[in-house]
Amino acid sequence: MKPFDLLRPSSIAKAISAKQSQVQFLAGGTNLVDLMKKHIATPDALLDVTPILSSQITGSTETLLIGAAVKNSSAAMDKLVLSSYPLIAKAILAGASPQIRNMASTAGNLLQRTRCPYFYDTTLPCNKRNPGEGCGMREGESRMGAIIGHSEHCVAVHPSDLCIALAALDAEVLYTIAGEKKPMVIPFKDFHRLPGDAPEKDNNLPQNALITGVRIPKNPFSKNYAYVKLRDRDSYAFALVSVAAALHLQGDRIVEARLASGGVAHKPWRWYQAENFLKGKIPSAEVFAEAAALAADETNPLVGNAFKKLMLKGAIEVALQNCLTA
Amino acid sequence: MEQPKISRRFFVSISAMAGAFAFIPASVKSAYISAKNLFIPQKRALPLSVSINKKLYKLQQDTRTTLLDLLREELQLTGSKKGCDHGQCGACTVHVDGERVLSCLTLAAMVQGKEVTTIEGLANGDELHPMQKAFVECDGFQCGYCTPGQIMSAVACVKEGHTGSVEEIKEFMSGNLCRCGAYNGIVKSIQQVAQ
Amino acid sequence: MNFFKTKTSSPKVEGRVEGVFKVTGTGKYSAEYHLDGMTYAVIVGSTVPAGRIESIQLDQAKQVEGVLDILTHQNRPQIPAFATKEKLDKSGYSLPVLHTDQIYFKGQPIALVVATTLEDAMYAASLVTATYRKTTANVDFDGSHKGVDAEPFGKERGTMAAWASAPHVAEAEYTIRHEVHNPMEMHATIATWHAPGKLKLYDKTQGVNSVQQTVSRLWEMPKENVEVISEFMGGGFGSGLKVWPNVPLAIMASSQLKRPVKLVLTRPQMFTLVGYRPQSWQKVRIGADKSGKFTGIWHQAKHATAIYDNFNEGIVRISRMLYDVKNIKTEFATVPLNLSAPTWMRGPGDCTGAFALESAVDELSYVLKMDPVQLRLQNLALRIDPDTGKPWSTNYMGECVTKGAEMIGWGDRKALPGTVKDGDWQIGYGMAVGMWFAGRQKASAAIRLDKDGVITVETAMTDIGTGTGTAMQNIAHEYLGIPKEKIKVKLGQSTLPPAPSQGGSTGLSSLSGAVTAACEAFKSKMDAYASTAGEQSSPANYSLIMQKNKLTEVLAEASSGPGEEQKKYAFCSGAAHFCKVKVHSKTGKVKVEKMASVVDAGHIVNQQAAANQVSGAAVGGIGMALSEEQLTDNRYGCLVGNDLAGYHFAVNADAPIIDVDFIHKTDVNINPTGSKGVGEVGIIGTAAAIANAIYNATGKRLRDLPITPDKVLLS
Repeated sequence: MKPFDLLRPSSIAKAISAKQSQVQFLAGGTNLVDLMKKHIATPDALLDVTPILSSQITGSTETLLIGAAVKNSSAAMDKLVLSSYPLIAKAILAGASPQIRNMASTAGNLLQRTRCPYFYDTTLPCNKRNPGEGCGMREGESRMGAIIGHSEHCVAVHPSDLCIALAALDAEVLYTIAGEKKPMVIPFKDFHRLPGDAPEKDNNLPQNALITGVRIPKNPFSKNYAYVKLRDRDSYAFALVSVAAALHLQGDRIVEARLASGGVAHKPWRWYQAENFLKGKIPSAEVFAEAAALAADETNPLVGNAFKKLMLKGAIEVALQNCLTA
Repeated sequence: MEQPKISRRFFVSISAMAGAFAFIPASVKSAYISAKNLFIPQKRALPLSVSINKKLYKLQQDTRTTLLDLLREELQLTGSKKGCDHGQCGACTVHVDGERVLSCLTLAAMVQGKEVTTIEGLANGDELHPMQKAFVECDGFQCGYCTPGQIMSAVACVKEGHTGSVEEIKEFMSGNLCRCGAYNGIVKSIQQVAQ
Repeated sequence: MNFFKTKTSSPKVEGRVEGVFKVTGTGKYSAEYHLDGMTYAVIVGSTVPAGRIESIQLDQAKQVEGVLDILTHQNRPQIPAFATKEKLDKSGYSLPVLHTDQIYFKGQPIALVVATTLEDAMYAASLVTATYRKTTANVDFDGSHKGVDAEPFGKERGTMAAWASAPHVAEAEYTIRHEVHNPMEMHATIATWHAPGKLKLYDKTQGVNSVQQTVSRLWEMPKENVEVISEFMGGGFGSGLKVWPNVPLAIMASSQLKRPVKLVLTRPQMFTLVGYRPQSWQKVRIGADKSGKFTGIWHQAKHATAIYDNFNEGIVRISRMLYDVKNIKTEFATVPLNLSAPTWMRGPGDCTGAFALESAVDELSYVLKMDPVQLRLQNLALRIDPDTGKPWSTNYMGECVTKGAEMIGWGDRKALPGTVKDGDWQIGYGMAVGMWFAGRQKASAAIRLDKDGVITVETAMTDIGTGTGTAMQNIAHEYLGIPKEKIKVKLGQSTLPPAPSQGGSTGLSSLSGAVTAACEAFKSKMDAYASTAGEQSSPANYSLIMQKNKLTEVLAEASSGPGEEQKKYAFCSGAAHFCKVKVHSKTGKVKVEKMASVVDAGHIVNQQAAANQVSGAAVGGIGMALSEEQLTDNRYGCLVGNDLAGYHFAVNADAPIIDVDFIHKTDVNINPTGSKGVGEVGIIGTAAAIANAIYNATGKRLRDLPITPDKVLLS
């Protein structure tokens, strides 16, 4: 690691005022410390923000608020999360390992960088790590790459599981920034971005802003939900394809459906067409297969990952099916 | 955008360099950053006070030192193992304030004021912890390198209550890789202690 | 006093002799010794796969606080055996590390940064850069092997013409991707010149004597001046059988700095500096007559190797010894690439070969519409080793097959593939057999009795996790009749009686003879002392006998090795592997639900440790079959991904509880204990068993390992 200062700001305001491009916030460290060891992140200083950020989960009748410093494992065990937002717990438990979930923060999870092997190996070209260098994966080993929303400059995928559930549940990201008194809000769907011609940017968080929490609106998805994650081994691996699914059923019909995926794009991906299709339908294997096909047809796989289209279709079908037995 | 200024009084600890950095105008600073390839920053040390296996340590530590390297290289507590150094194997698992974490991704500075327990602190004198005893009896290892991490994780796994079935144990122990594949014995050890 | 009746303070638990050290974290692995004045070394690898170094820039790295020195090919101390081209060729060491500007593979060490702290060394290493005169590199095995013809391997038996018109034939090509050992402990060396001309190495190795010999050869110094210690070894699986660049690098740095140097590889370096199982292509044609009797096998194979090190592991060998077949032709070749040198990895050669052969036999069973179990029983060469013509000393593979079939519930298997379903899951059963040549090498051991009545069994052999130490204790206990808690074990040091490396499942087989011989020598010594003392020679009188002879210690050392029996018999360990899998028809997910392995390895000295090795090997087989794969990118001439997040060997959740059993029939000819190794046969055949089960479940024949979900979906 490059030598750096470790600073302990005593308030959020002080943390924000100290933030610069070469100064980074440190929370759980599970991704940042790793990137620093790899010399991919080379900050001059770290601001230890864990003590000043909320590690509380609070709920009202309308929303759930997860503090930025809440550990992944705390969120997955929280009674309110489990009773009213269980998809979140399910997604968290599909990710990483118990040790990492004990360390990783909610905000950090949103900010974790891609696990693309070309990004991680500093001897290989990567536009995300080193803009202008070229994308190694696009014409290379793209098995783990994106199948939708990719650009000629980047085909990396977003690695989080929690974020897929948050995307499905229309969460919002709360942050503060210098000069603003009020907490600022970004809808989750707009938080992460597609690579376009600036893949070095993972998200739309304003520069030097500090995430303070994640808000999830009350929802009718606490009964019929599922998180399906397909990976090369049964645990402790990043997704090839993952699907967060949730159904609001009334009588024999689907009132509302949510479908989001990880492992397919530079950001958590919502399958709006499939969701719309499911609205008002009577659940059946055929209907689920049709919805899954709608989603899969939207994709545009790379030379090396055509299988993901099939896998996505299967995963959506299984996830929707699992919603009925959850 | 105007560069925010850093003031010394905001911080418990602050270095001259980052402080100085903040007062340089943005234009100069960007030139400075592009030239930084020629500039080799000096290492920084921070005071660190931490309890490890119920013993209080007061140290002056390089900010870059991970908890794992602190244990292994500075304190000669080599029971916690380095299997990957990147949070991908679990061999370095220790407890911080009673919870299992990876010491390789934990900067030593992050355990300031905390209680760390390593494999060396698990036994009660000569009396092995029941999990250590179970691992010996059930042969929950071969080469033994992942074993301290497995045991620290297993103790937490029982405490967390993730021992309802073989499948549950396996899932909640999957953050600890064992290349010898001693998973039969590891699961059996945990079942024995959970009972 | 009978000191074998007095209580000792340890152990408090029943288990391996070194168990308490491992579970308390007090066992010292190579990187865990602390020496005064210790320095930390970090390797800088080349960033190009082929060419010559033009210049290396060290200015920035040298400015890093704490940096003591940076070694390159331009300033390192001379390794005597690398002094001239002729000497280098004679040295038997393929990579003249830091003694050439030639680059053979990406990641080849070009510099070694040494600093006072690990943090400083790591940071400084990141600042070392180099310029190269690049040349074209090739790491594309698939594209290259077609241009290489397989050459005869072993003598052809019978003729191809004899079975050209076999009524039933299976023929197919099989491929296995590059696999990496990845033991949990990273390779590490601490080198210290502790006295003039005297070198001490704490090294992660499967054989301290082998390191001692190599180093004394390279430095042209007497063996006695090189002491090597590897008391605890965090897994090898073959990667610890060679002396890799970390050893000479650490020694050079210690010479230069005159301080102890600790060099631990990083995990990414574990992918390029300590070997791997090379990528392979195979083609098997197998014929049978109407009754299912094999009439011929033609097995061709090629695997990757390095351009600077022609490692080869004859992967067709298994086809020559497993089945009783009159006509056999085996051909083999290596394909040199700009990759680092491959090496033996668990079940080397045969593990690769068995995947192809045992898949082909399974394919043939469906052609024949015969039960695969029956087909094996009908064709296994149980009496004579077909390759040497010598009788097997013992071979109970038939019993392994029968027992394994019972354990897995083979009766529930449906002969027609794709017929058993549970929702979206398809269920199937598969089996395969494995065999490993049971070797034995010369080894030495000593028995030492001290004045407190503690027996120590000593040998230089390392225990890489197989349970060697415990087996030594067990053998000494059985032989001497002395309680186990009074028997200590000392191993993994080159100053102890010499022993071969622990590898190829020969450890126990070699050592058991040495320990029994040492026990015998010890007993004779005690008998002699007993008669001098006028006492009866028995453990109960040992204390008295020592007192009367005024002895403070009795030491007996002996060696033992293979003998005449090798001329008369062929020796093997055998195994049958069975599994039940389920395959998800919509997502391609494969789940191994049950797995059973039955092993014939003669007398089992320690049931629990042996079963642990076998179940562990099965877990390795699950990884090999379903997820282990190191990708390469020919455009950049290198590996893609080099960490444990991307290289997927099996986690706990991937493996079911593995059922293991043994045949428990002693091989009286191989060595005094009648024991043979289990480490290799545990994995040989497992990947085929899983692939065969996937076929039975789905009707999809997958011939390219690993069988990741994408391959299942797309086939």
